Amino acid sequence: MASGSGTCIVVGSSSGIGLAVARRLALAGRKVAMLARRENELRTQAATVNDALAQQRAFPFVHDAADLDAVEPLFARIEQELGPVDEVHYVAGVMPEVAIDEFDVGKDRLQVQVNMLGCIAWGNAAARRFLPRRAGCFVGVGSVAGDRGRVGRPVYNASKAGMDCYLEGLRNRLWRHGVQVTTIKPGPTQTPMTANLGLKNAIPADRAAELILRARDRGRAIAYVPGKWRVIMFVIRNIPSFLFRRLSI
Amino acid sequence: MTETTSIAWRDEDVRGFGMAVGGAARVFRPTTVEQVADAFAAVRAAGGSIALRGAGCSYGDAATNTNGHVLDLSGMRAVHAFDPATGVAIVEPGATIRDLWRRSIEHAHWPRVVSGTMAVSLGGAAAMNIHGKNNYVLGSFGDSVRAFDLLTPRGELVHCTREGQPELFHAALGGFGMLGCFTRLWIETKRVHSGRLRVWGIVAKDLEHNLQLLEDLRDKADYLVSWVDLHGKGAGLGRGLMHRADHLGPGEDPDGLRYFDPGLQEVPSTLFGVVPKAWLWPGMWCAVHLGRVGLVNAMKFAVGAREQRQSPYLQTHGAFHFLLDYVPRWQWMTKPGGLIQFQPFVPRAEGARVLRTLIEKCHAAGHVPYLGVLKRHRPDPFLMTHAVDGYSMAMDFAVSARKSARESLWTLCRELAEIVLTAGGRFYYAKDAVLLASSFARVHGEPTVAKFRALKAQWDPDRLLQTDLSRRLGV
Repeated sequence: MASGSGTCIVVGSSSGIGLAVARRLALAGRKVAMLARRENELRTQAATVNDALAQQRAFPFVHDAADLDAVEPLFARIEQELGPVDEVHYVAGVMPEVAIDEFDVGKDRLQVQVNMLGCIAWGNAAARRFLPRRAGCFVGVGSVAGDRGRVGRPVYNASKAGMDCYLEGLRNRLWRHGVQVTTIKPGPTQTPMTANLGLKNAIPADRAAELILRARDRGRAIAYVPGKWRVIMFVIRNIPSFLFRRLSI
Repeated sequence: MTETTSIAWRDEDVRGFGMAVGGAARVFRPTTVEQVADAFAAVRAAGGSIALRGAGCSYGDAATNTNGHVLDLSGMRAVHAFDPATGVAIVEPGATIRDLWRRSIEHAHWPRVVSGTMAVSLGGAAAMNIHGKNNYVLGSFGDSVRAFDLLTPRGELVHCTREGQPELFHAALGGFGMLGCFTRLWIETKRVHSGRLRVWGIVAKDLEHNLQLLEDLRDKADYLVSWVDLHGKGAGLGRGLMHRADHLGPGEDPDGLRYFDPGLQEVPSTLFGVVPKAWLWPGMWCAVHLGRVGLVNAMKFAVGAREQRQSPYLQTHGAFHFLLDYVPRWQWMTKPGGLIQFQPFVPRAEGARVLRTLIEKCHAAGHVPYLGVLKRHRPDPFLMTHAVDGYSMAMDFAVSARKSARESLWTLCRELAEIVLTAGGRFYYAKDAVLLASSFARVHGEPTVAKFRALKAQWDPDRLLQTDLSRRLGV
């Protein structure tokens, strides 16, 4: 499926991968609704995009991805202000610091709300519009972390796994009607969210955005970013549980 | 020093970046301001001395303290905040130039002054009052510091601004760590409209051409720096390749938007995408030790003509500025003797004559620097300033492991220094390794040196803060 020409929505675009995706969409000449919670960051970044391009392509909308009830009216408002939307990228995500012996429901709830329920709310709102139009593309940025439950961040893993499963179901519902649903699973990427993790071999966020848009153009169902993570995660997914629970990865 | 349990001194060999000077010291890496204060108190009580050290990028002995104590501030490297509205970052002294630009470029800001390597700590940059390739436009690093907190040797924390503490502000910036330890700095960055610069390579056929280019372009260019092939002789003496870079305006480079991603500003770690650059220094070692640097330079100069034909081109800020980071551990090519850099600052009127004389003297003495870098400067308001309205030429000498060759190099550099001082020139302590105490007052003038010594006596009466450099200069 080729990319469209209508308005794009990028949820979670004040930094990291979402910002890189929004910049590339604007560079490609698309109108981009940039959504994020932190108003100052968001407005500055949208202004930077418009300044570099010397024309208005980025339109900031303050939105908290955990606020599920705000999604439907905001989607309608964006279409009213910027014209029909044919592409939505859900890139919002949170990964709070969790100690190895910490079991904090507050932190867990936030991760499920932002990483999973937020994606569901935006996926549903997009589906309601894309299905009757028989066109459109929904891209959900999950994580390789959703492929297994691990000692470090059980709920981050679970929230990304839930997102993965939801997107698969949504894809199976919509694809037959001409609507694309693409799941992205990035490996280590250089973003503010991962800045303190000391990741090795993390790719630049712009490189991740390039690969995400390539997966969109090629109509991929699931894309690991970069592609080598498909092989690595195949191995990790197939480690038997009795062994996996003894490992520290 | 065991007065405070949180302080664990370790015996280490502490050297300058050039590896040619330095010696054994007791080192501690504090992580908090309280630990710095505790270390000050403990060593002061014992009558010892402390050198403050950032990332250890000073070529000479500015951050070494043979047989004394060294506080290595690399463990205090937080960037506390960056305000996209004002472009001001609040940092700890051990945070590096890389830490600063990685934060600011995300918000379309670039540090106003950066050095040729991004490894430099911001506390060190402030203490040495470093300069960049735009010194003639935006001044030195101190000009981009809005404020700082200084922990004095007596344990007092003083907040300094241009207005609030003008004397200490202008003396501590460039005061090579003699008056106190920066514990927090407010640093201004500059709004940019692209993640890239427009760059020109311009062949300069000799020294006079190089200097003429600096004069002709200084009102137009945002950055100017010339690589000089110091092996060039006769008509080619002082020949080189000038690089000019300009900032881009809104809409001039739409694709430059992507390069606000810090990951795209890093200097590439491989050559041709495959060969790790960390493997290159042994090849360079061979060039230095087999006397083939002249040949390498001649080839580089020849290739410059092609770069000129392809100019202008677009280059990221990181790739343009941080040439010294292209080859990791390049300084190892000068092992085992190490290297020293001799960087005279010469007033404009004397520039051509003095620099030509220096190069000729090097040839005559048989110590030809493997690298020369020419820049344009302007005066700044700091007490111990090295800047002049004129030029600087950094000359990198490989130091021989043989004692006699090493001594003859030091002798040569002192002869060169004499020529520079007679012409009213200056030196820069982030680089220097050779000046004698008798030169200190000649660099700055007697009244300035007296004022600096008075401030030292006021804020550090016990002479707690010392380095090999400060003892060599008789501060």
